Amino acid sequence: MFSLNNVSKSFGNLQVLKPTTVEFRTGESTVLIGPSGCGKSTLLRILVGLIDADAGTILFDGTPLTTQNIQQQRQRMGYVIQDGGLFPHLTARQNVGLLASHLGWDQDKVKARVEELAELTRLPRVALDRYPSQISGGQRQRVGIMRALMLDPAVMLLDEPMGALDPLVRFDLQEDLRKIFRTLGKTSIMVTHDMGEAAFFGDRVMMLGEGEVVQEGRLEELIQNPTNDYVARFINAQRIPQS
Amino acid sequence: MKSLLAVVFVLGCASWLCSNAQAQEKPKVRVGSKSFTESVILGDLLYHLGNQAGADVEHLSELGGTQVLWKALVKGDIDAYVDYTGTIQELLSKLVEPGVEVRTEADMRAAMDKLDIVMTDRVGFNNTYALGMRDAVAEKLGITKISDLREHPELKFGISDEFMERNDCWRQLPAKYRLPHKDVRTMDHNLAYRGLEHNSIQVTDLYTTDAEIEFYKLRVLEDDKGFFPTYYSVILMRKDLAKRAPKVAEAYLKLENAIDSKAMTGMTAKVRLDRLLETNVAAEFLNEKMNLSIPYQGIGPMAEWKRFLGRFTKTTLEHLFLVAVSLTLAIATAIPLGILSARNEAFGQTILAVVGVIQTLPSMAILVFMIPLFGLGAYPAIAALFFYSLLPIVRNTYAGLTQIPKATIESADVLGLGRRARLRLVELPLALPSILSGVKTAAVINVGTATIGAFIGAGGYGAPILTGIRLSSIPLILQGAVPAALLALIVQYGFSIVERRFVSPGLQSRS
Repeated sequence: MFSLNNVSKSFGNLQVLKPTTVEFRTGESTVLIGPSGCGKSTLLRILVGLIDADAGTILFDGTPLTTQNIQQQRQRMGYVIQDGGLFPHLTARQNVGLLASHLGWDQDKVKARVEELAELTRLPRVALDRYPSQISGGQRQRVGIMRALMLDPAVMLLDEPMGALDPLVRFDLQEDLRKIFRTLGKTSIMVTHDMGEAAFFGDRVMMLGEGEVVQEGRLEELIQNPTNDYVARFINAQRIPQS
Repeated sequence: MKSLLAVVFVLGCASWLCSNAQAQEKPKVRVGSKSFTESVILGDLLYHLGNQAGADVEHLSELGGTQVLWKALVKGDIDAYVDYTGTIQELLSKLVEPGVEVRTEADMRAAMDKLDIVMTDRVGFNNTYALGMRDAVAEKLGITKISDLREHPELKFGISDEFMERNDCWRQLPAKYRLPHKDVRTMDHNLAYRGLEHNSIQVTDLYTTDAEIEFYKLRVLEDDKGFFPTYYSVILMRKDLAKRAPKVAEAYLKLENAIDSKAMTGMTAKVRLDRLLETNVAAEFLNEKMNLSIPYQGIGPMAEWKRFLGRFTKTTLEHLFLVAVSLTLAIATAIPLGILSARNEAFGQTILAVVGVIQTLPSMAILVFMIPLFGLGAYPAIAALFFYSLLPIVRNTYAGLTQIPKATIESADVLGLGRRARLRLVELPLALPSILSGVKTAAVINVGTATIGAFIGAGGYGAPILTGIRLSSIPLILQGAVPAALLALIVQYGFSIVERRFVSPGLQSRS
């Protein structure tokens, strides 16, 4: 899906992403994990073109991403951020249907697709015609996911999507989200710092530290054979409640 | 039935054409006057004489000072007005080539001739500047001439703007007489009389034909050093008036040597003290002096009421026109400027600085500056109001756009909307509350500021205010001030409806 070759990024003197060569495979869900400032969000933002890489190339489905084609290519990516990133002046329905309407979809088709997605994400019907300020955080996040799914994108990119939710809401949404991705067979890349979430979602886990990929593989491999002290420390730092 | 309608239609057209043709035969003449009573009466004299000579005359009364009238005369926006030799000398001193002296009336006439303007012989009276005090105060302090003021440095002066700025007045006067006074303020001439009455000032500038000298029991201080120039009134008219409307030009010459100081003071007193209409006072003078039969405007409560209604309708329409046109133009210009400012930081800072500076320019300066470009009337006023309306709209558009959270902009980008769609579908709707409140501010300021249109013949609610100040008539002032205030409230209310209608409920419930 994405092939990165020697992609790097600096902000001033600070190299937030060292030259990185990685592959995100179609049909797989990858979790980018690591502490704050490790470069995981930067990597994701480079994929959607919110940040221009200083060097290296990115192939998206075999096509090199450029500033010229990024707008077109973004319509094939679904991007979800913390709290949904919804437009406060539009209802949930309008948020989800905005791009499709702009691209000239028939209104009936937009309506049908929005309602299909509401079903899929288990968003209550009444919430559809409310504004973001009038619905709960969990509902906002579901709307954000619906919006990302609207055009049936080739890949879903999620930047700490559960970051702002309380544990109960978070638990439900994690369940639903995994179910959705499994049902649709979506390729997904998710950024999180939560090991539990990584374990729950990731077919593959990519751990970053200080601007580089430290280790990648299945989570069990990381737990059993951490490549270095850093990985081991990060894994062990996650507290699991004792029953 | 159809043929009857056709006949009526044809007759209607024919009569319209006839009346139009008649109107076309009558030459159109415009005369002006400054915003003091004597000038308005003189303007009405020109008005009546022109109409009697077969022209269709319009009198743009109470314009905002010599510069406004002079520029309008040169541009051809008015054909004639009455000015004073002292003023003309001052005016010409800045216009003639260096080295050329303008001393005598013959010099002035020659210089005017070069500018294609005819300066007539004296109308008769000399209305010069003087300093005046209340008789009782002057008596107590033993002041009879300007030199005596030197012994009383504690006296407060309240003088008119023009008096303050002129070379032949305040700029030279204190040096000539070695006056030590520190407390010298500028104020409207009519307010100065009130100031004298309440003793908040003790000395003011006067015109020697002011009716108030008698009324307020003022003492005109003797100009013992012969400082003030003479101010004989003369008519200034464009040369082309004699070609366009020879009878009118001829009629105006009849005013030469026709009004002496006593006659002028008498007419002014009838307006200011007896509360007669300028137009009737002027008509009465001409009817008696020249055996004319100019009809009088009706008097009494019924006529007053009719005049009130007529004035109210006229000024309301004029005011609305000024506000609507200038605001529409300002919105159409300022929102794009605000968008560009938000897009480009350097450009934005420049634009905001420029519109900010415009806001600080005095309105009168902008108006006078606009006359050579737009002439008199609504257009220069609209131009000035347009400039004053820019800042709030540009600033609020800029603020509204730059305050949108970065995450929201990124969400739109990542969706693949593109810049133009992002602006239209996301940024402008989010900035709308801020933009609307900028437009609302501009509109309210605009409604208030549009009253200055009266200074350049644009009418509006400023006209009755100006006349009311001139005649010390509170009811007249209120006829302009109350509707202006009400209109501002209506505008404010109207915008709250627009806000409720157009701003997304998603943004309203959040705030």
